[in-house]
Amino acid sequence: MATQARSAGERKVRRSRLLPRSVLVVGALVAAAISAFPVVGGTDSYVLQLIGKFLCFSIFALSVDLIWGFTGILSLGQAVYFGIGAYTIALSMKLNYTIENSTRYGGTIPDFMVWNGLTEVPGFMEPLLSTPIAIALALAIPTLLAFIFGVITFKRHIYGVYCAVITLAEALILEQFLIEYQAYTGGFNGVTDYGNTRTAQFLWFLVVLTALCFFGARLLTHSRIGTVLKSVRDNDVRAEFMGYNVANYRIFVFCVSAFLAALAGALYAAWVGIISPGDTGPRFSIEAVIWTAVGGRATLIGPFIGTFLVRGLEFLLSGSWLANYWQFFMGALFILVVLVMRDGIVGTLLNWYRARRRGAPAEIREEQDRLEKDRQHDWRPSSEPGSRNDPV
Amino acid sequence: MALLEVKGLTTRVSGFTILDNLDFAVDEHELRVLLGPNGAGKTTLISLITGQYKPTSGRIVFDGRDITGRAPDEIFLAGISRKFQVPNMYETLSVYDNVMVSLQSARRVFRYMLKRVTREDDDRIWEILEFVELADRAGEPADTLSHGERQWLELAMLIASRPKLLLLDEPTTGMTEQGKQKTAQLIQRIARSHTVLLVEHDMHIVRQLAKKVTVLHQGQVLAEGSLDEVVDNETVRAVYLGKGHA
Amino acid sequence: MIWNQFALQILNGLGVAAILVIATSGLAIIFGVAGVINMAHGTFIMVGAYTAAVVNKLGGDMFMAMPLAFVVVALLGLAVERGVIRWIYDRPLETLLATWGVAIILEVAARLIFGPLGLKVDWPDLLDGNIKLFARPPHYPYYRVFHIVLAAAIMGLTFYLLYKTNFGLKVRAVRRNRAISGCMGVDTAKIDMLIFMYGSGLAGVAGAVLAPIKAATFDMGFTYAVSSYMVIVLGGVGNLLGIPVGAFLIGEGETLLAFRYNTVIGQLLVFVAIVIAIRVFPRGIFGYHERR
Repeated sequence: MATQARSAGERKVRRSRLLPRSVLVVGALVAAAISAFPVVGGTDSYVLQLIGKFLCFSIFALSVDLIWGFTGILSLGQAVYFGIGAYTIALSMKLNYTIENSTRYGGTIPDFMVWNGLTEVPGFMEPLLSTPIAIALALAIPTLLAFIFGVITFKRHIYGVYCAVITLAEALILEQFLIEYQAYTGGFNGVTDYGNTRTAQFLWFLVVLTALCFFGARLLTHSRIGTVLKSVRDNDVRAEFMGYNVANYRIFVFCVSAFLAALAGALYAAWVGIISPGDTGPRFSIEAVIWTAVGGRATLIGPFIGTFLVRGLEFLLSGSWLANYWQFFMGALFILVVLVMRDGIVGTLLNWYRARRRGAPAEIREEQDRLEKDRQHDWRPSSEPGSRNDPV
Repeated sequence: MALLEVKGLTTRVSGFTILDNLDFAVDEHELRVLLGPNGAGKTTLISLITGQYKPTSGRIVFDGRDITGRAPDEIFLAGISRKFQVPNMYETLSVYDNVMVSLQSARRVFRYMLKRVTREDDDRIWEILEFVELADRAGEPADTLSHGERQWLELAMLIASRPKLLLLDEPTTGMTEQGKQKTAQLIQRIARSHTVLLVEHDMHIVRQLAKKVTVLHQGQVLAEGSLDEVVDNETVRAVYLGKGHA
Repeated sequence: MIWNQFALQILNGLGVAAILVIATSGLAIIFGVAGVINMAHGTFIMVGAYTAAVVNKLGGDMFMAMPLAFVVVALLGLAVERGVIRWIYDRPLETLLATWGVAIILEVAARLIFGPLGLKVDWPDLLDGNIKLFARPPHYPYYRVFHIVLAAAIMGLTFYLLYKTNFGLKVRAVRRNRAISGCMGVDTAKIDMLIFMYGSGLAGVAGAVLAPIKAATFDMGFTYAVSSYMVIVLGGVGNLLGIPVGAFLIGEGETLLAFRYNTVIGQLLVFVAIVIAIRVFPRGIFGYHERR
């Protein structure tokens, strides 16, 4: 066998680099364009608000992509983690805001608390008065919750459709919970009127964080453990019989994803300055799944592109007579992506590019390969019996 | 000293006794072939050993450790790798990556997180790919492989994990004659340095490989010994060919 | 006195469970046979409710609306199955997304046609009134009794269909082993289609029955649908009994806890209980064990 071993040059599997130059260049350009926006267009334009929002959403979509695209767990309740992160920050900002700017009624606690008969900030909310603690909680609580949820379900081999509907119910219940306990959450209207962080600096911060998230996700999916995650997605039974504790890997990635979702939510609440129960609900969760699907799951740029495309289109149409029919379009998009364009925009482009690079459509090439292989199929006996170079 | 020892293994599924107080042992560095008509309990035995099902009663001792009822991943870590009857790998991963994730290494999430593919890992992957003659296809997704190539890829994955015992469940099903020959050669070479328990129907292959054969029938060991002994055994003939031929 | 209240709550819970059975049966049958969770199930219920509302406007009552809703929604189901789902039976997670798309479209269509406000549907005179269980009110309303009877009837009919007819034999065969059934000459595609129609039709009936409780609104179906998913998760689809058992546990649990605390806490606790329960029964109480 040793004689057959290839030289180092020959035995190369084409692997994309951790950061291909093209991605780096395009990413830098996009980041620069977004960052330049407040300088050119000022900080109070509506478009600027949208861009910041979309950045948060794309981190959220990325969190969906990590579990669905790379590990094969479809969660229809990802907004739970987004929402908890967002509410924690929103409440913290609201509490501090009312202390500094007393409400119309002169109180120093949020108006929705006053309306519901509270006279002081409830004890369990007091930690939120400190911003660092609030940030820590906004990220830690969702991650912990995801961990508990993961331990309960994945350890018992519950995933697929079951996991999807359970997470869906989870989101619905959280949404109703937030509406019901309005003394603490602002109820149906959510938390409003607590200022915001809409400054050029914060936008830059958002850009940097988004880039970091994507880089982190790239690091994760491109590394050895990323390959394990994909193998769990492809064939969990084989992975289990290859010694991987599949449940632990699922829990791990679920927690990472929840952390990202919480981060997205926290940034969103700070940037936009309003948060409502709908932002934690099932509909919003599923919407994030569709951004990912449209952009291309199991790719990292996909969620980013999908989010900007779908949300951007919605914004463009919202002013026109088409606004009423936008939802029709969304519905059709769901069906279309699933039926026609499974790999989303980025995935389809990638497939096309790869096929072109090979010079023939993938199917034809596969067929040719197979024929070629069949021709070589006659078995050549191994060099000599007992050769010591067997790798076994 | 036996590497794998199965003691009084019984398993019942909804009233049917599939394995009936089975005693069975495989020694180290042995290539043992498991024979038996359909429904004799061969695959069930393998599934029990690898932890897919739990036995109703009985014990499975591997390498001095009781592994009865453990989870599949723990049993793998104890040193048992299993090849499934139907080729079973990671379809969208490349051939190279399929072997890479199978390499022997720590499997815990946080230990794994910092792992890189080292020079040695890379060399070993290529060595194994050369061994099963899939090096040319290393970069391609596994689902572009033909049926036979998938079987070999799975063998490659098993070798990569450096198991103490390989359980091969009918690795030649659905192959052409040449494919079967190649598989037999591979298994023969694997068996030089591994303990192998092989389930096989094709008598040509069995004749080629087997030194010691165990025949299962109705969840019990019917006969054990060299192939010739077993083939001459009258009860075995009766089971396989029907009473009339005995 | 407190015991009267408590007994009444248990009976109310039974009524809620009956509603859950009515709302779930169609979904569960489709999931059990075809392995597809229909996210548009809630909107199918909604379409049934609007059918009842239209019938009501034209002077008919709920009893007339029920068969009509069955037919309308079964045809709708047929369209969805032929147009969307049949292409993706082998990708259950993606069916969730595609059917959610269907749900969005139907919901917007309903809102554009009937407006954002609900349409009221009258109770049939027959169901107006109470059973006087105790000397003093509250009494037990007739419509709850009707729900229980209807739930039993639906379960009975489905049982008959699945276990006593030739069609049912084929359905069960397909569920056990799709490939082999296909080889044995069962037209599995047709079975899937018919089951989808039947399940959708039942959703329509559910809508027609639920419409008078609240009004028919474009988003009424979603919460029912989510409850139905929970019934399936808890009860399992390995056996027809999973539906009533799951519905009973959830219905009673939510009603009693809502009585003790409030609705949201009730739902939350029941949800937590379900999540804990599936640790013991990963495929539901009556889930059948697939051999991996």
